Amino acid sequence: MNFYPLTKRARQSRRRPLHQLFRIMKLTALIITIAILHVSAKVVAQKVTLNEQQVSLDKVFKDIRAQTGYDFLIGNGLIEKAGLVTINVKNADLKDVLKTILRAPLTYEMVNKTVVVKNQEISFFDNLKDKAAKLFVLPTDITGRVIDSLGQPLVGASVSLKETKYNTLTDNKGNFTFSSVPQGKYTLIVSYIGYSKLEIDIQVEGKDLKLAEVLHTATSALDQVQVIGYGTESKRFSIGSIAAVNANAIEKQPVTNPLLALEGQAPGLAVTAMNGVPGSTVLVQVRGQNTLGASSLGLKPYDQPLFIIDGVPSATGNANISQLSNLAQAQGFTGGISQATGIGAFNDINPNDIESITILKDADATSIYGSQGANGVVLITTKKGKPGKTTFDLNVNSQFNEVARPIQLLNTQQYLQLRKDAFAADDLTPSSNPNDPGYAPDLTIFDQNKYTNWQKIIQGNNTNNTDIHASISGGTANNTFLVSGGYTRSDYNYPGNFSDQRYTLHSALHNTSADKRFTLDLATDYGYNQNNSAGFGNQYVLLPPNTPDLTDGNGNLIWSYKGVPLNTGNFYKSLKQPDNLSSFNFNSSLHLNYQILQGLTFGVNLGYSRNTATEHSIDPSTAQDPSYIDISASFANNSAQTINIEPQINYTKTIGKGVLTALAGGTYEKNSTDASQTDAYGYTNDDFLGSINGAATTYPYDNINIFKYVALFSRLKYIYDQKYILEFSGRRDGSSNFGPGRQFGNFGSIGAGWIFSEEKAFKEAFPFFSYGKLSGSYGTTGGDASQAYSYQALYQTVSYVSDFQGIRQIYPYNLYNPDFSWATKKSLNLALDFGFFNNRLLLNATYYRDREGDQLVSYPLAAQAGFATVYGNLNAVVQNQGWEFSASSTNIKTKDFNWTTNFNLSFNRNKLVSFPNLAASSYAGQYIIGQPTSVIIGYRYKDVNPTTGLFEFYAANGTVTSHPHYGTAAQGGDEVVIGNREINYMGGFGNTFTYKRFSLYVFCQFSSSEQPNYLSAVYSTIPGTMNNVPEYILGKYWEAPGDHATLQRLASGYSSSSINAESAFNQSSGAYGNDTYLRVKTAALSYALPDAWLKKVNIKNASLFINAQNLFTITNYKAGDPEQPGSFTAFPLQRIVAFGLNLKF
Amino acid sequence: MKKLFSYNNKILAGGLLIAFSTLVSCKKLVELPGNPPTQITRQQAFSDSASTLSAVVGVYTYNQDNQGDGFAYSDANLTIATGLSAHELSYTSSSDEQEFYSYTLTPLNSEVATLWQYPYASLYQVNDVLGGITNNSNLSASFVKQITGEMEVTRALYYFNLVNLFGSVPLVTSTDYVANAQLPRASASAVYTQILTDLNNAVKKLPSTYPSSGHARPNLYTALALLAKVHLYQKNWQAAYNEADSIIRSGGYSLEPTLNNVFLDGSQEAIWQLPIESSYDGTAEAANFMPYSTGVTPTFPVTDSLLNQFETGDQRKTNWLDTSVVGSQTLYYPYKYKDYYPTSPATDFMVFRLAEIYLIRAEAAAELGNLSAALADVNTIRARAGLGASTANVTSQAAVLAAVMKERQTELCFEWGNRWFDLNRTGKAAAELPGWQSFNALFPLPQAQIQLNHLLTQNPGYH
Repeated sequence: MNFYPLTKRARQSRRRPLHQLFRIMKLTALIITIAILHVSAKVVAQKVTLNEQQVSLDKVFKDIRAQTGYDFLIGNGLIEKAGLVTINVKNADLKDVLKTILRAPLTYEMVNKTVVVKNQEISFFDNLKDKAAKLFVLPTDITGRVIDSLGQPLVGASVSLKETKYNTLTDNKGNFTFSSVPQGKYTLIVSYIGYSKLEIDIQVEGKDLKLAEVLHTATSALDQVQVIGYGTESKRFSIGSIAAVNANAIEKQPVTNPLLALEGQAPGLAVTAMNGVPGSTVLVQVRGQNTLGASSLGLKPYDQPLFIIDGVPSATGNANISQLSNLAQAQGFTGGISQATGIGAFNDINPNDIESITILKDADATSIYGSQGANGVVLITTKKGKPGKTTFDLNVNSQFNEVARPIQLLNTQQYLQLRKDAFAADDLTPSSNPNDPGYAPDLTIFDQNKYTNWQKIIQGNNTNNTDIHASISGGTANNTFLVSGGYTRSDYNYPGNFSDQRYTLHSALHNTSADKRFTLDLATDYGYNQNNSAGFGNQYVLLPPNTPDLTDGNGNLIWSYKGVPLNTGNFYKSLKQPDNLSSFNFNSSLHLNYQILQGLTFGVNLGYSRNTATEHSIDPSTAQDPSYIDISASFANNSAQTINIEPQINYTKTIGKGVLTALAGGTYEKNSTDASQTDAYGYTNDDFLGSINGAATTYPYDNINIFKYVALFSRLKYIYDQKYILEFSGRRDGSSNFGPGRQFGNFGSIGAGWIFSEEKAFKEAFPFFSYGKLSGSYGTTGGDASQAYSYQALYQTVSYVSDFQGIRQIYPYNLYNPDFSWATKKSLNLALDFGFFNNRLLLNATYYRDREGDQLVSYPLAAQAGFATVYGNLNAVVQNQGWEFSASSTNIKTKDFNWTTNFNLSFNRNKLVSFPNLAASSYAGQYIIGQPTSVIIGYRYKDVNPTTGLFEFYAANGTVTSHPHYGTAAQGGDEVVIGNREINYMGGFGNTFTYKRFSLYVFCQFSSSEQPNYLSAVYSTIPGTMNNVPEYILGKYWEAPGDHATLQRLASGYSSSSINAESAFNQSSGAYGNDTYLRVKTAALSYALPDAWLKKVNIKNASLFINAQNLFTITNYKAGDPEQPGSFTAFPLQRIVAFGLNLKF
Repeated sequence: MKKLFSYNNKILAGGLLIAFSTLVSCKKLVELPGNPPTQITRQQAFSDSASTLSAVVGVYTYNQDNQGDGFAYSDANLTIATGLSAHELSYTSSSDEQEFYSYTLTPLNSEVATLWQYPYASLYQVNDVLGGITNNSNLSASFVKQITGEMEVTRALYYFNLVNLFGSVPLVTSTDYVANAQLPRASASAVYTQILTDLNNAVKKLPSTYPSSGHARPNLYTALALLAKVHLYQKNWQAAYNEADSIIRSGGYSLEPTLNNVFLDGSQEAIWQLPIESSYDGTAEAANFMPYSTGVTPTFPVTDSLLNQFETGDQRKTNWLDTSVVGSQTLYYPYKYKDYYPTSPATDFMVFRLAEIYLIRAEAAAELGNLSAALADVNTIRARAGLGASTANVTSQAAVLAAVMKERQTELCFEWGNRWFDLNRTGKAAAELPGWQSFNALFPLPQAQIQLNHLLTQNPGYH
């Protein structure tokens, strides 16, 4: 029932001595009730059919509402005024009906989907009375109430009279009061996060004035609520650099890992899919790489943000939870950046259960996370129930996938010719003698006509995926609930019976006490994921196409062919050595809040996050050469948990024309990870492989890590006159990862904003601007990339080794350095926001500059020190600066056709700003001041020498050579800066079209960077050796003197004299190239079935849809997937097409 | 209203109190137990002799750099790299090993990197044990003396191999990683000085008995064995002779009459032999050299040039080599270690054995002009191999030396780089190894190490 009679709530004005005389003239309040209604997006007929005899207006409105969905708002007493009505119409226009039933003095006004019934213009007589009353004018008290569409009060809404000192916030019943308002005309402004700002002209003239106004929810993105650290805010008043991706963008993507759905969606957020294995991790980075090398020699780390789910720091983050070898662990690409992949815990979260993912980027947004916020923060908020009728929602789809960008490899004829050319180039005769340098069983022993398309066998199988998600939600305004369950099965197009199956259960409860002072929110997510994959094997796509049969007709493996062992290349072996991983993910958050006083609340967040992964891999006798059977299995367990307790006090107060909000709180967090693995050998029988007990010998390994963290934090925000915004946040952190005396640190930020569009002069000069904001912030965060206890020297027991004469061995685990602490990042952020045409077009431009100093690194040490690395702070500064642009626009909005567009574009420039004494440090050959941290140092490639047929490079002195020298010029070598792997620009744009019942969403993502090119992959093996290569290289290699070829002469084996030039090539600029692509990431088409048809079967809503991921790609990348540069052997990314049905009951 | 206010004040006060107490106890909240459950502190590691011994045997079995198996040169790295370089072995596998055989080594070779890194990682362990037991009141003086001697022998062995593989190398004798990480190469003579200092100290500390069962941990004769070898390489012929002689005369060791028992646990000729690290796999040598199945090409077949050195009837060719028939080819592979699986009795990993000491004494004697004594020692070795006395002319020093070298080649093949070091120290590499150039005598320093420590210089010929 959505009837909101305006309540008459006379309130005694405060009597002042001066006014005693006029007691009789006491003016009661102006009564305003402002209802704020949820927008309903339903398309409803505006025609009504009524047959009512002498009924109250109340009844008629009810019937109209039932037929049209229109809400009614009626002033108190007006229903009675109208008396009883009789009406009989068929398919009449609503406006006509209203005209008929509302007789003078009643009239109505339509605001969106609400009909406001009010008194007609004041009569002449009334006017006269008013004028008389004005002679005795007195300051008037104004009271009112702000409620939402269910009649529930909105607490803490800001109410003000424009350009006066009158400012207040609604109390816990939604009421507000302005005392002693002088007579005059005012503009009453009501604003509340998530609802659009309302301006109402009112006149205070010492007389009862009945007003009924409607404030509707935001249709503009500007006023939608976004989640921030420890709170929510609207974009309108936000200073922080925050990007949000909402459910409707996530749901349309048929991906299993929700992080994958972020690719291209948010400015400043780089998301990279590492491989196409379902369940695998996804790389996520906010605004570039802040840290220098922290891992072992040569490998550069990859900064990833802090992940928080419903207020609980994720126990695992985006880390790999698998320990044993599996298909997902294959390196996506190389090139010196540490990007080990595997199975990620985020895969255990159903994307359908996510309401929004917010990315916090600048110091204003992240300082409140102190030492953990340096690499940005990703807040994942799950879905909550909405008040209303209990709704059952069912989503079912079936998916098919295939390799997105397959590579064409050589067939047998082409391959054998290539091999023969290679032998000719080396002046060698192919030989069947294994001890001969010309040994080539593929040319001399294997069948010359056999052809197997290994790529088709390994990556070309049909898949049939299923995704089912069902939810029930509803409740009253005080109590809402949501329960949802999901099942997802993702097949591989890899052969064998492998899949990733996920079961999820999500629930959310909300309770508000009757007096509105206490609230409780409980959100719980369970996820169970079963990922079965081959332990390895994708690299076998490069097997020679004339490889003999590797299995007999009965699935038994064949181990040799005419004396040639096939053990190293038996692809089918990998299918019998599966890795089965079961992960169990649990995330629960309880948020309790109590309002102590008007504006003052005390709350506490309690969170628990746990992920447990159990893994089992086997090597049965059936996967092994019968002459040497070694039946073994590995068992691994991995668990991580976080306990999080965060008491908080919130305070909101109106000060002058402004609103002050203050937050103070504390954090206690304990995180522990526990990993163990047992390798078990010597089974007598394959049937025992499920049990550790069946093994003759076992080697256990375990590692436990504990991390404790405490903090006090606060945030002050003051919004003055809805125009000027000032914000401070600060945090004091303590972390157990650092040595005594280094555990505590302070972080903070200051931000300011100016909504200049609210300035009168601006408004008058640029009337088409509906919004304009200039904002900036500066602050610090920290980077804590170390491990527990690493400040002290530790000894650890050895693993995988037998006792030494009954003594268990120990060895030094790390180096002693008690002096390291967190890295400090200083961030500057400046943003300009514009809204045009009533905010139908919103633009944002942001400039930022982040500088991370006191770099906390695993400082690489020369091996002679005994350890490869030691933790320490480095006096070096890495800068990331860049521009981010985003736009959202409602291009066309008509009754039948809507078209909206979103666009974002980011440029990040990374640079090593300073590094005192770099030349004498371990990083001398790895980084260069003024260059990005992803700098590539190698040889400058020239071309192929037409005479020798070898690759040629420029030496340091400018001469040309095929044998360049190692090291930089300072080290006496020929290596120079040949590029970097920064993303030059990236972004995405999406268009949503709705036409009547059809809806089409097309999202494209693009990125441009310099990456290892396809030749880097070609030369990771040697073309001409016993490996297949892409067809692309045919006709491109040098064959005879005088040839001007792209690629050098072939080599038949590792003893070829051309090998040195080949290995130099992979370290040269010739192996890198521009990698730019535009990918149609998501295309989603849906059709809503007609309501009339659905009503018969009692279904509220039903739609059919087709969602596609990675539909096609436009790129300059020659062979392979531009997102997996430099590798042909990582499991390729997939094109997924899902057909489905969505039902709402 | 007033009442409500005071009620709320109490709540507020309570809240503030909680917040305040949180602040006060902050330090406590980030306190952790003294050590993580799966590790102990260094202090705990040297708190008594039992845990100290754990660290000592950690040195013998575990290399913290490769986080796994290996004493000094795990995965038979030293044997393979030097065996290929000396053309004892050929290759059929990947490029990194091939570079040793064909003298196309580059500073990027991954095997070279491990040959450099693993010894230094172990040296850290050695130095840390030495640091941990010095001035440690928890340990008895006799225990400290024994352990110090063992660690000195171990340290000397590492440096002996490093200096022979790479020439002059940084000399690290402490765990001060800040200083050590930036040490330049010390001269080869300085390294030898350190080796001799350690060994001479060890000789004073170690008893002639072994501290534990078998010959698993160094005793006096282990120190003397290495000392004899060092003196031999340094051409201190008399000293080499004396040390070798004292070991042979000690009577504690005798040549195993059965060749197949030489590398087994309890071998009579073992001066130092380490238990294998796995109860499931054999030695790294066996795993690398033995084809996993009959009829399969061995990864490192024995070269014809070595096969030709075995005289007819040499039992070592039949007992210490084995064959795999692939197609029409018969390929030989090293078979001193026969334990792809663990065998019974167990195979141990031989560090020093008496046969080598005989050949050291023989060579020193020959150099000193005592040619008949030299040939007598050679003949002792030959007799055990089922061969008759050497036909070398006992009046020709060159012939006797050649007989010693030939016997070293066939007796000590695939052991600790002996052949490779012999060819280089006697200047015979150029004649024996096609393609060898003088700069190939030393391996290149790993390029990554030069990048990490700019004070390191590359060996000539490797730019």
